[in-house]
Amino acid sequence: MGALEIAGRILLQFWPVWLGLAAIFALSFRFKTCLGLYGRLMDSGIGKVGLFIVLFWLLTAILADLVITISPLDQIAGMKNAAPGTVVPGVEGQYYLLGGDNLARDVFSRMVMGSRTVLAIAPAATLFAFMIAFTLGLPAGYFGGRFDTVLSFIANLVLAFPVILLFYLLVTPEIRASGIPVMAAAVLFLFPIIFAALLLWSRFKTQPAKLALYLAITLVLGVWAYSGLAFNADPLGVFSMDPNLLNIFVSVVFVNAPAVFRIIRGLTIDIRTRDYVAAAQTRGETPWYIMLWEILPNARGPLIVDFSLRIGYTTILLGTLGFFGLGVSPESPDWGMTINEGRKQLSIHPHPALPPALALMSLVLGLNLLADGLREQALKD
Amino acid sequence: MTTPILEIEDLSISFFTRAGEIPAVMDFSCTIMPGEAMGLVGESGCGKSTVALAVMRYLGGNGRITKGRIRFKGRDMAEMSPKELRRLRGADIAMIYQEPMASLNPAMTVGKQLMEVPMLHAGIGADAARQAARDIVAAVRLPDPERILRAYPHQLSGGQQQRIVIAMALMSKPSLLILDEPTTALDVTVEAGIVDLIKELGARYGTSILFISHNLGLVLETCDRICVMYSGEAVETGSVADVFSRMRHPYTQALFRSIPLPGADKNARPLIAIPGNFPLPHERPPGCNFGPRCNHFVAGRCDAQEIDMAAVPGDDRHASRCLRVAEIDWQAPPPRGAAAESVKVGAPVLRVDNLKKYYGVSGSILGPALARPVKANEAVSFEAREAEIVAIVGESGCGKSTLAKILIGLETATDGGARLKDQEIGRKPIQERDAKTVSSIQMIFQNPFDTLNPSVSVGGQILRALEIFGVGKSQAERQSRMLELLDLVRLPRAFAERMPRQLSGGQKQRVGIARAFAGTPQVVVADEPVSALDVSVQAAVTELLMDIQRKSRTTMLFISHDLSVVRYLSDRVIVMYLGHIVEQGRTEDIFSPPYHPYTEALLSAVPVADASVRKKRIVLEGDIPSPINPPSGCPFQTRCHRKRFVPGNLCETVVPPEVEFAEGHFIKCHLSRDQLAAVEPVFTRNTTPAA
Repeated sequence: MGALEIAGRILLQFWPVWLGLAAIFALSFRFKTCLGLYGRLMDSGIGKVGLFIVLFWLLTAILADLVITISPLDQIAGMKNAAPGTVVPGVEGQYYLLGGDNLARDVFSRMVMGSRTVLAIAPAATLFAFMIAFTLGLPAGYFGGRFDTVLSFIANLVLAFPVILLFYLLVTPEIRASGIPVMAAAVLFLFPIIFAALLLWSRFKTQPAKLALYLAITLVLGVWAYSGLAFNADPLGVFSMDPNLLNIFVSVVFVNAPAVFRIIRGLTIDIRTRDYVAAAQTRGETPWYIMLWEILPNARGPLIVDFSLRIGYTTILLGTLGFFGLGVSPESPDWGMTINEGRKQLSIHPHPALPPALALMSLVLGLNLLADGLREQALKD
Repeated sequence: MTTPILEIEDLSISFFTRAGEIPAVMDFSCTIMPGEAMGLVGESGCGKSTVALAVMRYLGGNGRITKGRIRFKGRDMAEMSPKELRRLRGADIAMIYQEPMASLNPAMTVGKQLMEVPMLHAGIGADAARQAARDIVAAVRLPDPERILRAYPHQLSGGQQQRIVIAMALMSKPSLLILDEPTTALDVTVEAGIVDLIKELGARYGTSILFISHNLGLVLETCDRICVMYSGEAVETGSVADVFSRMRHPYTQALFRSIPLPGADKNARPLIAIPGNFPLPHERPPGCNFGPRCNHFVAGRCDAQEIDMAAVPGDDRHASRCLRVAEIDWQAPPPRGAAAESVKVGAPVLRVDNLKKYYGVSGSILGPALARPVKANEAVSFEAREAEIVAIVGESGCGKSTLAKILIGLETATDGGARLKDQEIGRKPIQERDAKTVSSIQMIFQNPFDTLNPSVSVGGQILRALEIFGVGKSQAERQSRMLELLDLVRLPRAFAERMPRQLSGGQKQRVGIARAFAGTPQVVVADEPVSALDVSVQAAVTELLMDIQRKSRTTMLFISHDLSVVRYLSDRVIVMYLGHIVEQGRTEDIFSPPYHPYTEALLSAVPVADASVRKKRIVLEGDIPSPINPPSGCPFQTRCHRKRFVPGNLCETVVPPEVEFAEGHFIKCHLSRDQLAAVEPVFTRNTTPAA
């Protein structure tokens, strides 16, 4: 099979993704005037390209089951290190589109499946990091003083520590056995619940009936998910997290949170001096209402940009972790791990290592372009 | 005939953006003769700064001159090469901007920056340049030139910085000086000094001046000729005397009627606001731009074709862009608004007693706290009655904002107290006040662009205030109350759904007023509520605020530095200087002798846009002392022009006592009653009445 035919077949294999992209872009263009910042993204060339790439991978992750040709874990005899476009023996019209790897698995399907790991962890971990940073950074910036000094010092301490070393520490069996990751998870996963509760409490304090209802729903859902994610003790078994995954998740959140904390603290210090904050104070609002409902929404511009950049950064981190063998599970088609496996015979068979590397690169590039587009459009108003 | 310094002919300037061409200035002409001072007046967005930048050929990447010609000393500037233009800028044409600190390089000493100008343009040596710099610093009347030359810009006060910027502009003896709102960022008494300086230097060096301002009074004081701009066009031009006494354009006339001149009275002769809003550049009406807001508009004529400037017969170079110059009866008195009855003030609502606020200057890790605190308020006592408007007047640093913060509860008093009805609030921070107290003393903020949360709809912000104040039992009840509040501030109910960025400055300020009145307050503290608005909008917002205040019988503390507005609307005035109340009394007592010397200087510093009013000129020396290091004795003694009449060193050593002159009229001064009473009034009317 020639290179062109392979490319054609790969593009064809992504048909559900193209369909989804076409639908999303058509709708976005149709309603771009009433979609706020997202709608204005449609006016920016860079933003559109970035969004296209990011959505491509997002849809690939969601629709991976439709895109893959063969199960990513299937090993088929005779396909070890097969060249791209090799026909699967015994099955008519079945190809290893990007060849086979060292263990005779389909490189294409593994790359497609690998997007799931990245896109499941990176945005969620970034979101957690943001919620922790909100809960700590807003009061640090708003009140200042000793609270701010102590928190900023800790944040600087974490930031000054070499990230890779920290990861190695957090994932080594000895540290794992000591229970530190679970304890860290227990602390870190508490913040989203606190954040949500504060958000509701400050807003609906004047309407006790509504407040009680919303708070109850949040707390039940939050504690349920918390018990499952942090301690793997969900009685219903809906929320659970593989211990390996938990480790990685916790480390990524831990590394990202201080950086976001500093951004939010800085933005808060700036916005705190505005008259509408003074107006809220003279109205007798609680500090948490001012922080969460007066300051935070007006800091959203830089935060959205940082959010998309940070997902890209986290994606690279996950790849790095996988590359060092600290990945999710040894079998999983995680991009970083696949690159590492392919590295060993890069000079003989380059094809197993290149596709996941290009995938990782394109996703990060897309996220960066998206952030650029968002920044460009956010500045215009 | 002498060649004019600057000749602008049919100038049109457009900005090219992605949204298309936006015309900023259309068909603008003016001529400045040698030694002449031309005032360019208009509201923000009318294109006056664009004209100035076009003269400097500095329009940025997307601005372009689409039509017309600018001649400098007879030469067409469009034909000059970039090199020639560069030589011209700074040497022959100099420009001074609004914010002095932004024009000075913070990393260079003042001397170095001044020396650069002649070294670059005249090519003289460093020693000669230094000598020239020293002379010019002395010429702008800065004390101790040697010390100033060695100083960095941040070591000087705002007024001194602006003087340095003027000195720098004058270093190369330019033939044209462009001043873009040079005193807007300064205090009134400092402004008066700068204005005097500009006039004097213009006369001494024979420099022509293009003076851009939104303040008609300032133009009257500084300029020979005036050009009024509206929405990108010059609408009226002529000598200051002609335009001020025989205005021939409806916009100019409306502008004069909307600013509080001496003689305006809130009950008998209320201000007349210009209806409607300033048109955006891409929404200009056909024909006369002012048409939709004009009282003399005739459909089918005024909107039929573009209108050209036409000379007003009988006057020297006086022209107006109005078709109906000959038809309108310019002497006709303005249509009378319903004269309101004066409000009877009630019982005292707010009583401030011996209130003091000291800030401890906090120490750092490296050193202990300073022993001397900053005294923001020093023994302030006054009371405000129901339905009364009490104005608090003073320049920056006088402690008026600190006082407001204490009353609102954002700060607490160090000593003394304030009582709202029978409740102590001076020492009670806002967290400790109950919802009822909080809602009964509210604040209106100065900057309309900053007072509303940009992320919440207008309705949502008012609703939140109602929620917090505990108004209404259900959300539906509050919703209807919110719509009523929008009616109250005369905004359409549909605005509830709008976001703040979709509102103009005046509309935003109305929302701010609605929010402050949401909980039916007893006292409203208004911190310069209209000073950031355009002149034509100011009148409407002022009238609205007073109307609501009158109907709801709310006590209003009106903080301002604009004495014209204060005189117009307030019942009583408190004059503050460096944390002290130096004078307080009924408005008519404050505006006529006896005065405290500071009040006298303040009154004389305020530019009045009325050619028939003659004003005594008192220019104070120096700047306001820092509250960190206040002078001993009387706070005003360092700048007082009447200190020499007080025997001995009483002023330096003893804080003067408050002396009661009339009922409720107190002056804090060592001068004797007779001396103070003998002072002649600041304002006198010319004997020949003007139109």
